[in-house]
Amino acid sequence: MDDFVFSLPFNLYNKADKVDGHICVTHDDIFVYIGSEIKESFPIKAYEEYACEQLVGCSMMVGRHDDTDDKCICSFTQDNFIAFAELCKLLNHYLTTGMFIEKSDIDEPKCPKCGLPLDGYTECPYCASKVKVFMKIFKRIGPYKKAFGIAILCTIITEIIEVIKPYINRYIIDDYVIPVQDGTISSGDVNMSGFALLCGFLFITVIITTILDRINLKNSYYVSLNLGQDLRQDVFDKTLDLSMSSVSKKTAGELISRVSNDANKIQSFITDNGKNAIVRILSLVIVAVILFVMNWRLALMVILPLPFVAILVKKIGDIMHKYFSRSWRFSNAHSRLLHDTLNGIRVVKSCGTEKAEAERYEKASGNWAKAATKAEVVWNLLNPISDFVLVIGNYFVVFFGAKMVLGQMPQWGSMTLGELTQFTSYVSMLYTPLRWLIQLPKSIADVSVSASKVFEILEEQTDVRDSSDCVDLDIKGDIEFNHVYFGYKVYNPVLKDISCKLEKGKMYGIVGHSGVGKSTMINLILRLYDVTQGEIKIDGVNIKDISQQSLRSQVGVVLQETYLFEGSVLDNITYAKPDATFEEVVEAAKVAHAHEFITKLPDGYNTRVGSKGYTLSGGERQRVAIARAILHDPKIIILDEATASLDTETERQIQEGLNELCKGRTTIAIAHRLSTLSHADQLIVLNKGRLAEMGTHDELMRNKGVYYSLVMAQRQTTKMKKTPTSTPTTASQPV
Amino acid sequence: MANNTEYVPEKFEVDRLELLDCSKLHFYRDDAGFISLKYEDQEYFNVRLTRLMPFYSATTYISVAYDNEENEFKEIGVIKDMKELSEEQYQLVDEYLEYKYFMPEITKVYSIKDNSRGFIFVDIDTTAGRKTICIRDWYSNFRMLSDKYLYANDVDGNKYCCSDINKLDKKSLAVLEIYI
Repeated sequence: MDDFVFSLPFNLYNKADKVDGHICVTHDDIFVYIGSEIKESFPIKAYEEYACEQLVGCSMMVGRHDDTDDKCICSFTQDNFIAFAELCKLLNHYLTTGMFIEKSDIDEPKCPKCGLPLDGYTECPYCASKVKVFMKIFKRIGPYKKAFGIAILCTIITEIIEVIKPYINRYIIDDYVIPVQDGTISSGDVNMSGFALLCGFLFITVIITTILDRINLKNSYYVSLNLGQDLRQDVFDKTLDLSMSSVSKKTAGELISRVSNDANKIQSFITDNGKNAIVRILSLVIVAVILFVMNWRLALMVILPLPFVAILVKKIGDIMHKYFSRSWRFSNAHSRLLHDTLNGIRVVKSCGTEKAEAERYEKASGNWAKAATKAEVVWNLLNPISDFVLVIGNYFVVFFGAKMVLGQMPQWGSMTLGELTQFTSYVSMLYTPLRWLIQLPKSIADVSVSASKVFEILEEQTDVRDSSDCVDLDIKGDIEFNHVYFGYKVYNPVLKDISCKLEKGKMYGIVGHSGVGKSTMINLILRLYDVTQGEIKIDGVNIKDISQQSLRSQVGVVLQETYLFEGSVLDNITYAKPDATFEEVVEAAKVAHAHEFITKLPDGYNTRVGSKGYTLSGGERQRVAIARAILHDPKIIILDEATASLDTETERQIQEGLNELCKGRTTIAIAHRLSTLSHADQLIVLNKGRLAEMGTHDELMRNKGVYYSLVMAQRQTTKMKKTPTSTPTTASQPV
Repeated sequence: MANNTEYVPEKFEVDRLELLDCSKLHFYRDDAGFISLKYEDQEYFNVRLTRLMPFYSATTYISVAYDNEENEFKEIGVIKDMKELSEEQYQLVDEYLEYKYFMPEITKVYSIKDNSRGFIFVDIDTTAGRKTICIRDWYSNFRMLSDKYLYANDVDGNKYCCSDINKLDKKSLAVLEIYI
């Protein structure tokens, strides 16, 4: 037997019984093993294509003939899907090229450390070295190092002054707080000038720290706000630069969260911890040294509870995380319900379900209140405990310190009241950095996730990028597809072996069933994605050698769902050509049959269209989009179901606008209503991802191929499955 | 139009729920491993059996459909209750559905660990054995679909369920309480 090239385990059989199966592939054959027994074997070439089909709870590998499943080869749980999809890809590669790629990264990339799927990331966002991530954050401080330096300097001076204050207090207490002798105080016993000097000194420290605090705050906020702005801008710029395949992997919400929430989290972390980290660690060390120098026994009492506090805080953190998550979840459910009900208020009213909705809301609101109360109760129960354990040392310090002041602990040495006050002040000063230090791991864990996600975007290599020698081409409009293969997932091709030539100035219609790859062809012309195999040429130049900016600036697109940006009608028409003169704008609007309705608007071209253009009707929005495309003056025009959602009269008007727009330009149109495309110079008919036929409407109708059946099916649908009536008739009226 | 013509309203065919006569259904597993069907003198290869309410009923309202030559979805009809099938037919259909909707039932929950970053690791006993499953974005992928039905979808896309959490032992319920 030939050596195995690949072997993959599968784990389901029959009634979803767990089995220990293997698919083993040699250079010619496929063997299906259950345990050590060969269940079946067949040549690789027995099927035209191999594919993975995802069911509900599991998936299966199938062999296909003519795009129809012919054989269920094996089945497996979903965790094996990617590996089997990769195997199918390799087998299909072998079937088309006769070559075997023997080395393949058949497993889904997983983090070697935590084992979680990398999900498109190059580095696991949870295991990425935190030091590396933080170095990246701190490097961004570079442009603001002067302000950052001033802030740190101010904080250090303030901290030193804070350390001096208890020292002054000690002198005030020890030298100027005099016990009352016989019920009278003699003013001669008090050195008033010394007392005034100390008070004056204290007053000066207050003024200095206030001034320093102000300088510090100004510089800190300057650094953190600018840093936040830089981060947001960089993430936003990079997001716009990402290829469609990268952008599609992330939801809009996720991207918005990265631009705003994650960047904000980093900004707050820098504000709260950036300079504080240096200062607090410094003050912790200084104060701890002073405490140990003053009295190491009392200092130990302060330090000893710390390990217990650290453990306690971690435990409490874990518990609270669960409770707050639960509360957050219920609050989320409550907001969702509110959003849902208010958005669908017309449906609620028309169905008369106000009472049911009110009950649903009461339940959701009640759940949230209960969860939030429980979380707060638990927090207020646990937090004082950890705080008490943290400061418990202070009670011992006061107890034993007082004994020393009273001379009851001679073996520990003596202490004045001023020294004890100074000591307890330092202990209090120690707790601030300690509390911060205990919370630090949580803050670091939190921000490092955000930071990794932000840097993931900033450092992502976009997969559709301009080559170093790309050109700015003055496009004429010839397009050529040359054996193009493409799939959004490489193992699942949407377009297969597409070859065709589109001549400049002509109109082409792309037709086929839903999901056959019509819009994908358009995406490839726009180079929103790169082809997997083959090439697309425009005027004889490979699309990959044309700069993306040059290409897209010469292609105009009108989609079914027009997106208008918040702004005026004028802003939206000039979006693609901001330097257009007003005459050009009106000219474009006239050609697009938009001028008439715009003049009827109260504010004319300055009318605000609202979010997504909600103040305009569908037809009006579409006309604005066409005017935008006309003003753009593209060499290639793409119409993706441009008139599909409009009524016949509006469609007719818009069609006139479109005809004007398309004159002398290469036009590629997709439309479900085949009648819309019947006047196209050529029709490209796609079937099961392949180019089935190409020709004029008449030619294709004569050929009686795929297009013919599409037209017939549509006519049939238009007739709404009419059946002959059983009533005898003398004549029927044509419809 | 001539006056002697009479307008006859057109009759339109409306898709209706077609409940299948279980006694006439004959499912069989073909050589390729798919389920095929003989029904009312017609033979349908590689039929698609779908639980219309997969979370609430495993054996009632099963849609029987196939893809025609144009790859269009065609529904033959709906089996109202699989109990009406013969024992042998029931077993065949049930076997196929159990495989298609492979979803181990959770029988015990030992522990749930939260890594505070949106993932939870749930140590469970299921009808397919004990396993620790990792769930990403657990707010959506580990939730109650009704007052008693728990649904879990792990990072790999495997699905798990517990059709009635009240049947779980007290310790499992205590572990679950905070997450549901």
